[in-house]
Amino acid sequence: MADDRKRMFQKDLENKFTKEHGTNKMEGGDITDMRIPYYRLGVDQNPRKLEMKKVGKEIAEKRGLAGYNPMMHCGGIPLGQRALTPSFISGNDDMMVENDDLHYVNNAAMQQMWDDIRRTCIVGMDMAHETLEKRLGIEVTPETINHYLEVLNHALPGGAVVQEHMVETHPALVDDCYVKIFTGDDELADEIDDQFLIDIDKQFPAEQAEQLKSSIGNTTWQAAHIPTIVSRTTDGGQTTRWTAMQIGMSYIAAYGMCAGEAAVADLSYAAKHAGVVNMGDMLPARRARAPNEPGGVTFGNLADIVQTSRTDPEDPAHVTLEVVGAGCMLYDQIWLGSYMSGGVGFTQYSTAAYTNNILDDNLYYDVEYINDKYDGAADKGIDNKVTPSMDVIKDIATESTLYGLENYEKYPVALEDHFGGSQRATVLSAAAGSAGSLATGNANAGLSAWYLCMYLIKEGHGRLGFFGYDLQDQCGATNTFSYQSDEGLPHELRGPNYPNYAMNVGHQGGYAAIAAAAHAGRGDAYALNPLIKVCFADEMLPFDFSQPRKEFGRGALREFEPSGERSLIIPAK
Amino acid sequence: MAYEAQFYPGATSVAENRRKHMSGKVEKLREISDDDLTIILGHRVPGTDYPSTHPPLAEMGEPECSIREMVEPTDGAKAGDRIRYVQFVDSMYNAPSTPYFRSYNAAINFRGVDPGTLSGRQVVEARERDMEELAKFQLETEMTCPALACLRGASVHGHSLRLQEDGVMFDMLERVRLENGTIIVQKDLVGRPIDKKVDLGKPMSDEEAAKRTTIYRVDNVPYREDKEVLEWVHRIFEQRTTYGYKPAVQE
Repeated sequence: MADDRKRMFQKDLENKFTKEHGTNKMEGGDITDMRIPYYRLGVDQNPRKLEMKKVGKEIAEKRGLAGYNPMMHCGGIPLGQRALTPSFISGNDDMMVENDDLHYVNNAAMQQMWDDIRRTCIVGMDMAHETLEKRLGIEVTPETINHYLEVLNHALPGGAVVQEHMVETHPALVDDCYVKIFTGDDELADEIDDQFLIDIDKQFPAEQAEQLKSSIGNTTWQAAHIPTIVSRTTDGGQTTRWTAMQIGMSYIAAYGMCAGEAAVADLSYAAKHAGVVNMGDMLPARRARAPNEPGGVTFGNLADIVQTSRTDPEDPAHVTLEVVGAGCMLYDQIWLGSYMSGGVGFTQYSTAAYTNNILDDNLYYDVEYINDKYDGAADKGIDNKVTPSMDVIKDIATESTLYGLENYEKYPVALEDHFGGSQRATVLSAAAGSAGSLATGNANAGLSAWYLCMYLIKEGHGRLGFFGYDLQDQCGATNTFSYQSDEGLPHELRGPNYPNYAMNVGHQGGYAAIAAAAHAGRGDAYALNPLIKVCFADEMLPFDFSQPRKEFGRGALREFEPSGERSLIIPAK
Repeated sequence: MAYEAQFYPGATSVAENRRKHMSGKVEKLREISDDDLTIILGHRVPGTDYPSTHPPLAEMGEPECSIREMVEPTDGAKAGDRIRYVQFVDSMYNAPSTPYFRSYNAAINFRGVDPGTLSGRQVVEARERDMEELAKFQLETEMTCPALACLRGASVHGHSLRLQEDGVMFDMLERVRLENGTIIVQKDLVGRPIDKKVDLGKPMSDEEAAKRTTIYRVDNVPYREDKEVLEWVHRIFEQRTTYGYKPAVQE
């Protein structure tokens, strides 16, 4: 089957490597050629590099201080000694982008994805309502809840309530800030004003909606998004503080409470601690990050933040691949790439996994292989899954890896596109791991396939990633199936701060995908947390979490419109 | 009973070559003079003394220590040499060696070496004269084809890139070039031009490279056809996994 299959990356790689882009002279040849002419055209062959070079020169002249100058590279031998080629966003063939534009600094959509996660928290309403009803004897009805939500949507962005003569934030700067609620209680949902409700029945396929409502039950939750501009100026820990403060003030205003009465403390405690769900856990002191920073976002949570599972539930591989894209961007480009290392070069670890359809091809091949051999086990469903076993993991991971390795050998341009071993290892293992999850519906089985894939790559090509990359993959198999404290965890609960993964470059997007694949494969409505899944089922968010990769492409093409802009309060250019 | 190391499983030429690299029983194909090696490494001027970071051990009056008594220092350590490196880049288009097998060769056959294994390059740090011994060994033997492998300290990309039209592995700094059928070194490890053209000899033919390589490739020796290697990878994987999960079942 492998030899006859039309590769999903063929068109992209032909456009990338056999068509001229800018003035890179790449016209002609074949994607199976093993030898090519190298023209050594430097940065001037590429439109974006030319733009950057021109701007760098202008900045240096304007400020009288040296700045960006590509001739500083290697003593005057700049990038571009080989052809600088564009990339195509996987799953979106028409989106050809410059690689530079996939750096998060150059990409407003990537920034907004992280902004939208960091500025979000979920706050329960039930404890507050019990306090109001049982302690203060105040009646809570759908009408009072609607009124409270109207007050909170004024207060949460920074509007004043209760107190007089207060400064306020300008609404045009914080227009992305709002709160909605959701509940598993159909009767209550019917009574809530549409503008305030995330309607589970409307947002999710019926089967998923039932799962979610059953899990959430009669509890009610606020999905709060503080202003992007606030989140960027402060940190992830600000999200619950800002939200809790405005929630407390809004309860006081909406329910006519005394501003200083003791019950307010109960409301604050519920909003800040007892009834709040962060997107990311607080990190230990040695990494010194507040809640809602990327290092605390578990793989299960990220799988739930991405929404493709509800918009394209019949294609679990697609769901998986969108989580790969989101995860590689968040964990590699932003978390490890910047927070942890301070580097600028991590981008290409990530882009390998969501450009040019190379990973997509590998995973969809795996789906075909699994479905042929295991009677449709990779299709969405529960009864069709194959029981996890060492033999199944070995079979699927081996076939997936050999297919991927052979693609690099048959198509030299694929090897050249993934020019670093860490890129190839990430892509191949993401495919094998996700395939293991899809077939079994078990994320730890998928993780096991990941580790076997790493061993197979190393022995096949005599190389893997780099020292630190390989280390983690040599020892990971030993704790794959352990749930004991300090030894292991169910995969959905692991995250960037799991001990073995804390500096695990190029892995974490794949890990998140393994968590997503297990549940998308089963047709589950969520991977780990139903509240998070519902919270992000909201088209009002600036970033479309149902198609992260397309959003990154829009960002690269400069079509994405972010929030939190300051043009209102700065001089016009 | 004397144990004879088997080094590596597999029934193919790639597996056999891996065993040769690991055992150090490789064929010598060329001569590189000490001065030429020094020039292309670029760590010091040929003919000059090895810079040292401490006096010879014999003059240092070392403290009494059973480990020191048991372990014979390498020549570089005895002399107090500084630590320097050699780094190879091997093309995935049938270069004879691969990073892991360069590391295994170094770690098994040489003392006082610190191999580092990446995907596109393989570095060994050691006392300078010890490092040179290893570098000379790997350069002169079938572990290296001068067109498909290259010494590079920085700007190392090339291992995964398509070859140049003349069959030489791409190097953005063009440290070597093919001239009259032989590979000439014109820059040192970090791309500084050198005063003398150093001739590394003829590249291997495509057929010879395919015969001597340690990388599995679908167009040469396919990985999936070396069943014994795959079986051993599976065995290692299964044992590591099972040991972590439930030690009691391990024999």
